[in-house]
Amino acid sequence: MVRPLIASLAWSLSAAPAPSLPGGGPVQVEIFEDLAAGKEFDLAAMKSIDRYTEPAFAFIHTPTKFAANAIPLDRSTPFILKAAYQRNYTAGSYTLRLRARGAARLFVDGKLVAQTQAQKPNTSGDDPVPPAVERGNTPLRPAAYPHQDSLAPVQLSDGPHEFVLIAAIGGKGLYPSPGELAVGIRMKDQLVDQLLGPNDAPPLTDAGWEAYSLASARRHAESDKVRRRTVSHKVSALWNARHKSQPAKPAPAIPTAPDGYPVRNTIDNFINVKLAAASAKHTAALNDLEFLRRVTLDTTGLIPTPPEIAAYLKDSPKSRRANAVNRLVDNPSWADHWVSYWQDVLAENPGILKPDLNNTGPFRWWMHQSFSDNIPFDRFVAELVQQEGSATLGGPASFSQATLNDSPPAAKADIVAQAFLGQKLSCARCHDAPFHPFKQKDLFALAAMLEGKDLKLPATSTVPQGEGGRKPNVVSALKPGESIAPAWPFAKLLEHADSGTLPVAAKSATRNQLASFLISPDNDRFSQVVVNRVWKRYMGVGIVEPADDWSRGRASHPELLAYLAHEFRASGYDLKHVAKLIFASHAYQRKAAGTAADQMSSAKRLFAGPAHRNMTAEQLVDSLHLAAGKLFDCEEMNLNPAGDRSPKQFINLGKPERGWHLTALSNERDRPALALPIAQSIVDVMTNYGWRQSRQSPATERDDAPSPMQTLILANGVLGTRIARLSDDSAFTGIALGNATVDALIEQTFTRILSRKPSAAELAMYRNLLAPVFAGRFVKGAEARSTRRESDGRVSWSNHLSAEATVIRLEEERKLRFGDKPTDRLTKDFRERYEDTLWALINSPEFAMVP
Amino acid sequence: MINRREFLANSLAAAAAPARGRADACIFLWLGGGAAQIDTFDPKRRGDGKKVAGAAYGAIDTAIKNVQVCEHLKQTAPLLDRCAVIRSITHPIVSEHAAAANLVHTGRTPSGTLQYPSIGSVVSHQLGPKTEEVPNYIVMGYPNITRDPGFLGAKYGYVYLTQTEIGPNGLVRPPDVDSTRQDRRETLLAAMREGHQNRNAGDTVIQAQGDVSRQAFRLAGPRFMNVFELNRESTTLRESYGGEFGQRCLLARRLVQAGTRFVEVSFNLNFLNGSGWDTHNDGQTNQHLLIQDLDKAFATLLLDLEKQKLLDTTLVVIATEFGRPPEFDAGGGRGHQSEAFTMVLAGGGIKSGLAVGTTDDLSKKVIERPVTIPDFHATIHNALGIDPHKNLYAGDRPVPITDHGRIVQELFA
Repeated sequence: MVRPLIASLAWSLSAAPAPSLPGGGPVQVEIFEDLAAGKEFDLAAMKSIDRYTEPAFAFIHTPTKFAANAIPLDRSTPFILKAAYQRNYTAGSYTLRLRARGAARLFVDGKLVAQTQAQKPNTSGDDPVPPAVERGNTPLRPAAYPHQDSLAPVQLSDGPHEFVLIAAIGGKGLYPSPGELAVGIRMKDQLVDQLLGPNDAPPLTDAGWEAYSLASARRHAESDKVRRRTVSHKVSALWNARHKSQPAKPAPAIPTAPDGYPVRNTIDNFINVKLAAASAKHTAALNDLEFLRRVTLDTTGLIPTPPEIAAYLKDSPKSRRANAVNRLVDNPSWADHWVSYWQDVLAENPGILKPDLNNTGPFRWWMHQSFSDNIPFDRFVAELVQQEGSATLGGPASFSQATLNDSPPAAKADIVAQAFLGQKLSCARCHDAPFHPFKQKDLFALAAMLEGKDLKLPATSTVPQGEGGRKPNVVSALKPGESIAPAWPFAKLLEHADSGTLPVAAKSATRNQLASFLISPDNDRFSQVVVNRVWKRYMGVGIVEPADDWSRGRASHPELLAYLAHEFRASGYDLKHVAKLIFASHAYQRKAAGTAADQMSSAKRLFAGPAHRNMTAEQLVDSLHLAAGKLFDCEEMNLNPAGDRSPKQFINLGKPERGWHLTALSNERDRPALALPIAQSIVDVMTNYGWRQSRQSPATERDDAPSPMQTLILANGVLGTRIARLSDDSAFTGIALGNATVDALIEQTFTRILSRKPSAAELAMYRNLLAPVFAGRFVKGAEARSTRRESDGRVSWSNHLSAEATVIRLEEERKLRFGDKPTDRLTKDFRERYEDTLWALINSPEFAMVP
Repeated sequence: MINRREFLANSLAAAAAPARGRADACIFLWLGGGAAQIDTFDPKRRGDGKKVAGAAYGAIDTAIKNVQVCEHLKQTAPLLDRCAVIRSITHPIVSEHAAAANLVHTGRTPSGTLQYPSIGSVVSHQLGPKTEEVPNYIVMGYPNITRDPGFLGAKYGYVYLTQTEIGPNGLVRPPDVDSTRQDRRETLLAAMREGHQNRNAGDTVIQAQGDVSRQAFRLAGPRFMNVFELNRESTTLRESYGGEFGQRCLLARRLVQAGTRFVEVSFNLNFLNGSGWDTHNDGQTNQHLLIQDLDKAFATLLLDLEKQKLLDTTLVVIATEFGRPPEFDAGGGRGHQSEAFTMVLAGGGIKSGLAVGTTDDLSKKVIERPVTIPDFHATIHNALGIDPHKNLYAGDRPVPITDHGRIVQELFA
């Protein structure tokens, strides 16, 4: 979902914190690392690692630490946050509130006034649920369990005063985040604290905190983006230089376009030659709105919004499509839509609870930043294979993990070979592949390159031959326990040399070498496999099928493949360049025909029209929320909000705002107290639409054929109910309350959901339904109600075994079935009829089909 | 992973293979958390809840000669002649619940090359649907990976419910949509669907998808939804089944009657005992309440199935991810033990009234006749008439239906 981005705050590089302005100005924050045990608050002689600013004394997110090539790094365990601020106060009695879940100290004018105790790591789930806080008359946000509040009454004189907060973040057996670290300040007669800071700092209420938290997430994401792009400026330049220094290769010949077939760009020449040879007709062209809906989904993973549609239609017909494409590939959601794809292909599989089912770390975060920064794709592959950076925070090191797998490097070798070389080595995991030209030794040699050293073949990865008896169908030349050295196994197949030193070298020589082989400009296979994946994604079926297993198929249009591969390499491995070429072709801009399954044979693939595609699970849930103008409003993907366990056991994947932010809910223990009901309602829809909650193995395609449960889960489930509900935060409620005529309301509704105008018959049908109650739809005097979801924040891993925690969650599940509370401002009859209208539109098969 | 010689030896010995069972449906009762065998179906001498290892409760005789069970299984004890108690289940995953639950459900550990299907999905896949109007595989519990269809594909997934009063997710309408409103909705939707199909008359894909959408609503039709109306059963029967777990067992019987092939019923009523069967520390204190609930429900289920003439064709399984050691921990509870524990089978035409395998004097180690998880799966398959030596296929890759599991032959004629 595109939201206005908060302007990034200035990056302060001064030696000492600058004094703040008399009544306002940001809080100066510094981060210190590697303090000796027992000396965490001894900062006088220490130099800070990072400096930044916050608008007030509320610390929810901290800046990510980046390496020179912008991959995220871990900080020390613990690290120290120091915040300093100076401002004028009028004389009076104030109460300061230090709120922290770990050790923290608050100083006013150099004097210690408040402190909190170090957090204790949790060792069981048996703690009781803490009692619900009695709010009484105060709107103060209660301290979320297990934060402590330490209150300090202070007398301040007129004039400037200095406030310093020093807090330990994380520690052994703890989660490395601040939680809800904050300092509030209140005058005697004030009802509630204000966050310490400038005059406009928000109050420490639920609403104030939640707004601050949302803004903080955005602000830090933006600041991370600016910092990492600045930090890796040199490295970006090195990659550019590498591309420029690579000798230009001759462009492939472009065939003459045959008569009688439409051409928009060079791609069509290649397609039309085969169409003409088969005397085949191409499908009809898409109209402008169909094109916009398709290309917006393909670039951003979302349907177009009404303002986007209006701006597009205002554009001149000749240029509107090209303008739209240029705008859309630079939309930030370009990154979101690609993350979903590579999560499947690279088997990203983080576990939020004691991951032991072939889990990886959350390298989704590094993938998102890579696509957001549009780094060259060869650099992406090199960094992936080098596997460095933070494993917990989702750097490329998290790709190397596969919990409880008897050979993670072997699993990764299989993934890398499929993803970037179209070589499916999976069968060679346990024995020589029976139908492919690979031996088990090949896979393990590649695995050893990824590991950085010799590998011993685990007994569990073999097929025992046994003594006597019949000869088995599958064999392996390797014996359990045998040692395999790193070696590039594709020398015969790919015949090119490695491409020498990389712009940034990893510690492991064999990883560097592997990357060097993969991304060599002489590695035609690499460029072809990647452009084939891009082609398949947008056209529904690849030029080569299967896209991850090239020994089992052949190119339907080998010259087109070579052309696209050339363009990709020549552009510096820029996915956007290839995407734009495809979008600009007539072949892409035609109506879909047939399915991918019909066209697996290369002879059958003519691209007379793209293959039919349905929305991916992520596109579906994201687009539904966008149409309704609603946030996911989902629980944080965090089964241990108390933060009292090591990140090796529990990780926090944050509050989901897009489908790809979700993950398996890990309730193998079947405990109601571990349920996340809203997340579950979104996961329920996504799993029925082909999304894998557990990606234990790589996949290029999804199992998403239309099924009765697909229809029913959307029609009856909680997610569909929330989307169709006319709550006060729904865009449709806004439309209904507006002064449009009933026809205008129907047209706006169709535009929002289906990106088109209703047909005459559809207009008549909905007019029939809504007109009788339209004029009298307003409820006089009714007000908008708060749509804030009440959730009980007391349940965490440490107390989930209590019966009370179970009861709390079961009640949340029950309440959720009713969907969001409906607005009071519309009559029940009108509201229900309009909700039924919305229901029919979102459940129509047309909604989820890509035009 | 696969001992080819042994599996070929098995198929060569097909002539000596046991007969299949008679089950055409399975009710899989899942005691999540790891049920202590020494406190349930494999009782030994008493411990003291502190330093002296041993059973937490007394033991009582059963309908099987020389076989006792815990005193809290009073109703089940006289019905044990309908059961086969396998006391020598063993596997190596002792520390992690998710990994152990995954092993017991899928019969394998994750390999990274493909995702193995749950026993429910395999049964659904192998037996096929009895009727089109009822989901083939239903879970009463939380959706999680251990129950998923893996490489068999979404078609062999499950419908689930977490609370019987809420009903199956996706099949039950939102509470504020009555049948009048639903009719109105479906009329509007039908018009949208037909309009789309008519505008694309020549497009077979659009026609087919429209048809799937139209037919889907039949699955949530009244005939199926009636199955969930437990108040159609007599109050006496409902009371015999007991609390929520018992009501789920009753629902499972009704689902089997309606044609569902595989119903997994989770005993995850953590408001009874917060940690469920995972009785570390003071989770042990109320364990007897769980056992009593299980006893009431299981005994009633057996008699009810018998009365309905379904027991012979319904395999009932009591499964859990591991057992627990005879020693007590510092809080008076028990840790995990996977080296020796118990699972129970009943019905389905298996030979009943016997105990298979023995453990030592504290049920710590298997002394006789170990049964692995693949063996357990092979036995379930055989009871359901599924060939335990066949291959499933992930694409065109053959995957033996179990990881060289051997049928517990004693359970078949």
